[in-house]
Amino acid sequence: MSEFIDKQKKIRNFSIIAHIDHGKSTLADRILEFSDTVAKRDMEEQLLDNMDLERERGITIKARAVRIDYTAPDGEEYILNLIDTPGHVDFNYEVSRSLNACEGALLVVDSTQGIEAQTLANAYLAVDSNLEIVPVVNKIDLPSADPDKVRTEIEDVIGIPAEGCPAVSAKTGLNIQDVMDAIVRDVPAPTGDPDAPLKCLIFDSVYNSYLGVVVYIRVMDGTLRAGDKIKLMSTGAEFETVEVGVLDPFGLRSTGVLSAGEVGYVTASIKSIGDTQVGDTVTHAERPADEALPGFKQVQSMVYAGIYPADGSKYNETKDALEKLRLNDAAFTFEPETSIALGFGFRCGFLGLLHMEIIEERLEREFNLDLITTAPSVIYKIVKTNGETVDVDNPTNYPSPDEIDEALEPMVAASIITPTDYVGGLMDLCQDRRGVFIDMKYLDTTRVELHYKLPLNEIIYDFFDALKSRSRGYASLDYELEGYETSDLVKLDFLLNGEIVDALTFIVHREKAYARARKIAEKLKENIPRQLFEIPIQAAIGSKVIARETVKAMRKDVLAKCYGGDITRKKKLLEKQKEGKKKMRQLGSVEVSPEAFMAVLKLGDE
Amino acid sequence: MSFDLIPKKRLGLYVHIPFCLSKCAYCDFNSAVPENDEFMGRYVSAVITHMNNYRDAAKEYEVDTVFIGGGTPTALPKAELIRLIKAIKKTFNLTRYAEFTVEANPATVTLPLLKQLRRIGVNRLSFGMQSANNRELKALSRRHTRQEFIESYRLARRAGFDNINVDVMFGIPYQTFDSLMKTLDFVTRLSPEHISMYNLKIEPGTPFYKNLKAVREVCADEDTEYAMYTEAIEFLERRGYPQYEISNFARHGFPCIHNLKYWNCEEYLGFGVSAHSYFNGNRFSFISDVKKYMEALEDIETDIPLTDEFDPVESRERMGEYIMLRMRLVDGLDPRAFAAKFGVSFEETYGAKLKKYLQGGFMVRYNNGCYALTPGGMFVSNYILSDILEFDDLCSYSGSF
Repeated sequence: MSEFIDKQKKIRNFSIIAHIDHGKSTLADRILEFSDTVAKRDMEEQLLDNMDLERERGITIKARAVRIDYTAPDGEEYILNLIDTPGHVDFNYEVSRSLNACEGALLVVDSTQGIEAQTLANAYLAVDSNLEIVPVVNKIDLPSADPDKVRTEIEDVIGIPAEGCPAVSAKTGLNIQDVMDAIVRDVPAPTGDPDAPLKCLIFDSVYNSYLGVVVYIRVMDGTLRAGDKIKLMSTGAEFETVEVGVLDPFGLRSTGVLSAGEVGYVTASIKSIGDTQVGDTVTHAERPADEALPGFKQVQSMVYAGIYPADGSKYNETKDALEKLRLNDAAFTFEPETSIALGFGFRCGFLGLLHMEIIEERLEREFNLDLITTAPSVIYKIVKTNGETVDVDNPTNYPSPDEIDEALEPMVAASIITPTDYVGGLMDLCQDRRGVFIDMKYLDTTRVELHYKLPLNEIIYDFFDALKSRSRGYASLDYELEGYETSDLVKLDFLLNGEIVDALTFIVHREKAYARARKIAEKLKENIPRQLFEIPIQAAIGSKVIARETVKAMRKDVLAKCYGGDITRKKKLLEKQKEGKKKMRQLGSVEVSPEAFMAVLKLGDE
Repeated sequence: MSFDLIPKKRLGLYVHIPFCLSKCAYCDFNSAVPENDEFMGRYVSAVITHMNNYRDAAKEYEVDTVFIGGGTPTALPKAELIRLIKAIKKTFNLTRYAEFTVEANPATVTLPLLKQLRRIGVNRLSFGMQSANNRELKALSRRHTRQEFIESYRLARRAGFDNINVDVMFGIPYQTFDSLMKTLDFVTRLSPEHISMYNLKIEPGTPFYKNLKAVREVCADEDTEYAMYTEAIEFLERRGYPQYEISNFARHGFPCIHNLKYWNCEEYLGFGVSAHSYFNGNRFSFISDVKKYMEALEDIETDIPLTDEFDPVESRERMGEYIMLRMRLVDGLDPRAFAAKFGVSFEETYGAKLKKYLQGGFMVRYNNGCYALTPGGMFVSNYILSDILEFDDLCSYSGSF
């Protein structure tokens, strides 16, 4: 037992939290270099971000964990478990579960930028999880770095001591030893009784085609051995463990046992990642824990969109690809749907806009698919006149006005941190997006934190881009879902040549309907090529047309000269034209190229 | 004396002269300013050798049209042009009334040349006038002026040419609806037998293409071009030049028989660089490089290939071609002739798609049962044809199996 306690004392479980681009992944790499298992020459930049996409975007999409065997300068040997967290507002819940698996968190703050919205949001999450927060001021190699100012800001705004906290350059490797010292000194060792009934927190899981689902866990209490029968407490599902081990920088290392305080993985021939939900508790089937670990939530999609193969014949490929992605992403949901305009496709649910973009990009990149994605939608709750309440995630299914007693839309509590210069413009933006001002706090003399209540459906289009462009990229955003509110919503249809194009239908607040209708009608006009017949474009609420444009008829498409009997050339020209035509989507009686369709859906800054 | 009871197969001849005095800004035809007269003489010799190679193959045919085009055939030294024409007559069986056209650029012809051409059997001249407006001519980098064209045209009449075509272009820089109408008025007052009116297409590789944006800025827009086209058709009809093909208009009895061969899927042989042929069920063309072309013909041992594209026309494709080409003609396509030729019904095969164009006013069905494009339909004929025709109609499968 004392041997166990000695071992437990040498464990440090910690996360790194930061606002996007403040250097979280780079710092993680530097820490990894202190591991005995990773030689410097093996270091690929940002080892923790496994996916190409993550590396390119410089963000962490899925949480990863790694165990580092670290020998301190005084010769003491430690086990450091670094649990990486996704750095985006869409993945708040996953972040909170990762944090719950730790005793401490490094809060990385860019010394040239100071505290940003996600710095705060993440810091609060860490405080909520009772974590010891170790501030780290980063990027001190940059000329505009002001570490002392940022330290003061951390103390003033977050209320944690930051004097003398490590000031580093993760990029150059400067002062990283200070960070290592702080981890060992300030992050508490885990506690937990190895003989108590088993309680493991699931903080991530990935699908592996050989092992089935690999579940990443933190053992809170008890001891887990290979061969044990385990039970997942939210569902009661039982499995027999196959492998138990730890997470080396380059993969899984089977150890056969994990006990209280340790971080590692377990496999149990689990087929579906849906069975191992983040936040769930793993216990023994025969000697279960009395209660599950707190904080488990079913992950819920907040944003929905239709995904259609640009080439209708690729339906099955698209389905296979979605299934494969779903294997590794429990937060992503999909089910088949059909659209008159777009044919067979899928209604997909995402945690948020970034999540949606990532899925789209992965589908296109990893599976080589051309896709059409419809405008994102939120879930509206409709109380019908017959008393029934329905959730509407597809605007096409929005009931007609006479069936609606009350329409509710999801609201978010948004926090925006911005230099004071841009406050006016951002308040206008929030106002314009139907935001309700809550309060405004000065973080210091130059920066402000704004709180607004905003409808989610105003955020999912292009709010983030508008925010960035109005603040020259300096403002940062974080938001949290905050229930539903009654709203005056209308369904806006678009008609091409008199026929409704269902894929373009969306739900909008009545006051915004006219402006949005005009804007989209204009965009349609720009993006629909002239065709033989004049094409009226109409935007309508019910039968009332509120905006109108016309695509003029094509007048000229002719090869005037067929010189010297060169028939082959003319034939080739027609062939090429025919090929182009094949790619066109028939929207009603109008042909639209998939690219044009996408251009219409991407609204851009208004 | 004996009569052939079975009429001989007919053949058109085309000879390409790739030389010009200067290159026009819009032109993407195979032509260049030649090095010297000797070089051109060599080229003519090569063409003559080339024609000789086909002498046997063409023995069964009688040639009823000859078209010497370019480039500028009249850029050849007079003696070389005469030598070429004489060789054509010697090599092939020309019918007595064969249509024999030579393209001529205004300001490159003299009365003696024209007289001699007429004397040795050339009976049709085609002038590349393009516009009667000097500013427009200059923008096209044509070498002649309106006045010089008038003079050349009069010389041709004096030399005895009673079948003359005049080329006009529309959609060219600085041209307006009114200036086109003035050009047409000018041309019709001269009373040529035939008028071709081509829409400018800016092709890659031309000076116009390099300055696409600037050129487009001074050209009429699509809607104006449409108005020019449809109005010109009516205007020319009123002046006694009914349209018979997308870009061609003629007084009664004077359509270009050679060009009709192209639209009627009839056989023709083309000699010279980049010349196209449709012969024995194959479409083919010759290489475009003048030097290589000459070397290939001067040296029997050579392994330089003369043929550039070779495309056997499959029967299904022939059907697509037929539609594509017939639909260029005002007379259109006769479904009975179609059925006789291909053994399938035109209406049954393409009916569903024809319907929307008939209803939309892009196509008509005449009282005689023929289908044809209206002027508006002709101006969007690529769109319509690429919609009507199937891939199978257009693509050749040769070599892909």
